[in-house]
Amino acid sequence: MSSNVSTSNGLQRLTAQLAPLLIVCAVVFALPVLLNNDFLLNKVARYLVLGILTISLGLSWGFGGILNLGQAMSFGLGSYAMAMALKLKTIPVHTGASGLPDFMVWNNVQQLPWFWVPFRSLPFAIAAGMIVPALVAAALGWFMFRGRVTGVYVSIITLATMVVINLVIIDQQSYTGGFNGITDLAQLEIFGVAFDAYGRATYYLVAGCVLLSLLVAFAFTRSRAGLIVQAIRDHESRVRYFGYDVALYQIFVFALSAAIAGLAGMLYTVVMEFASPTFLGVQLSLSVVVWCAVGGRQSLVGAFLGAVLVAGMQGALSESAAFLETWTLVMGALFVLVVLFLPKGLAGLAQVIWRWIVQRRHASGSVAQGVGQTEGST
Amino acid sequence: MDQFIEQIITGLSIGSILLLVALGLSIIYGSMGIINLAHGEFVMLGAYAAWVFHSYLGLGLLASLVPIFLVVAAFGWVIERYVLSLLNNRPLDTILATWGVGIMLQQAVRLMVGSELRYVQLPPALSGSMDVFGLSVSSYRVFLFVVSLALFAATWLLMNRTTVGMKLRAIIQDRSVAASFGVNAKRVYALTFAYGAGLAGLAGALVSPLKSVSPDMGTGYVVDAFMVVVLGGVQSLAGTVASAFILGELSGGIAFLQNDTVAKALVLLAIVVLIRFRPEGLFTARVRA
Repeated sequence: MSSNVSTSNGLQRLTAQLAPLLIVCAVVFALPVLLNNDFLLNKVARYLVLGILTISLGLSWGFGGILNLGQAMSFGLGSYAMAMALKLKTIPVHTGASGLPDFMVWNNVQQLPWFWVPFRSLPFAIAAGMIVPALVAAALGWFMFRGRVTGVYVSIITLATMVVINLVIIDQQSYTGGFNGITDLAQLEIFGVAFDAYGRATYYLVAGCVLLSLLVAFAFTRSRAGLIVQAIRDHESRVRYFGYDVALYQIFVFALSAAIAGLAGMLYTVVMEFASPTFLGVQLSLSVVVWCAVGGRQSLVGAFLGAVLVAGMQGALSESAAFLETWTLVMGALFVLVVLFLPKGLAGLAQVIWRWIVQRRHASGSVAQGVGQTEGST
Repeated sequence: MDQFIEQIITGLSIGSILLLVALGLSIIYGSMGIINLAHGEFVMLGAYAAWVFHSYLGLGLLASLVPIFLVVAAFGWVIERYVLSLLNNRPLDTILATWGVGIMLQQAVRLMVGSELRYVQLPPALSGSMDVFGLSVSSYRVFLFVVSLALFAATWLLMNRTTVGMKLRAIIQDRSVAASFGVNAKRVYALTFAYGAGLAGLAGALVSPLKSVSPDMGTGYVVDAFMVVVLGGVQSLAGTVASAFILGELSGGIAFLQNDTVAKALVLLAIVVLIRFRPEGLFTARVRA
């Protein structure tokens, strides 16, 4: 009987935690009905993709305590994987069907490099877009966490690694398109559905991935491994004394986060119709940290909304250069204020307000039992 | 042989600029544990100050060095007092806060004086060249080398031979014990940060004749300076000097053999490996944790 009560309580709590997530996703899916403008939808899709990227950072930073300043590395790798596949789907001007991509011809490359060959297969590319970032992250994680590197040093190593990969991509122009990135791509086509960057199909693909990543990340944070990861964040050595393999859990959350970022990168290529070295640049990588901090690093939905709102605001103001410049200044100030006074971001603020409302309702004697349990960090 | 000496001298020149920029960062990071991502912006402010003093007040670069130090130090003092001192127990968050401050400074400069490149004139007395080991070297670069060593010496004296330095070292060892002996930790921290910022400003002013001055010029410097500090070891000033010149020689040498990109990438990789195996830096003796 008592176990029955506790499961129903647990269920209630789970629903309360999932509610914000599902509401946000419902809004995302309903948006095309309200917004009948393909150009705007494409823009929104872009912000949603950045939102997924920020969720992935929230997972490693907010839940794992690993401040990855090179999160854009995984994003960029995913983006290049997709771009390589889509580039090979185009019919090259110079060499005819199944010939070499144009930039290789310009750089006097005679034969398709070996690491390009498997990207003729789209399923391979899609798998690689997540697995390659995850493997790179796992290797880097193994290198760092096995050596018990923590805190600031993790941030420096991740940032430096990303810069190295960025430099290599820019330097190897004949294989990567160098500074220009990979442009003039074919449309993504899966099961006969063509994903035009300005079409509804692409928007729904992105929206579906938002839902998927939120659910996967949410499930992870509730899982046993997810709880251990959070325990490591709060007190690493205590968890180690309990006999857990701390590094293994850190590597796992680091790789999972990279895989989600890789997914976001692939979608970004579809939405933007190109891949560029700026996708794994310092600028973007640090912006993600800002979005995550403003939205709330310990809240998946918060991180997502932080990215969509801040990037969206920036995009809306970028029409006018003067506005954008001022906005960047305001953004810097806002960011400093959030770090100083709202370490849990807007999501933390929302929680405080919500609790205050619930308490008031309790105090005034209304029937709001169980709702007070919503301390969930969804 | 001549080429070899030329390489060495190029390396020393790069190294002295690195040392100039890294010295302030090293003080701040080593003593306060703050990763100051706004450091590059302090460098940028110093360079702009040199430009303003020169083009509006007609002051030469050498004459404006002291005012530039004071101006940028004042910026640093304000930032420590009103932002960083609120983050005492959250070291990771100081990265974020200083980065935000950096963005604000950069953007404020861009809004006020525009993002065009600015140029600062070499001091006329130093615009010639000198004979060093039979090679002709720009006098200004020799001057930078001497100044960077002089600033290092001044900083060392300040840390080890003055009361403020002693108080600071006491706080580094144990803040609460130092405080109970009457050391005003807040004030010492603010002064330290201001001093570090002032040094960055000086560095900016001194390199401004060699490079063009722009609002985002600081970004590259902060990364380089960081590498110097990490390589040299967090609490070792002498390590900072050694690593500045090692990195200078390394990047000069690799850039000569390969290209700039490969040089940068290799230096970064070396740093990554170093952090993994010797997070305390190359030049610090292992102390008890």
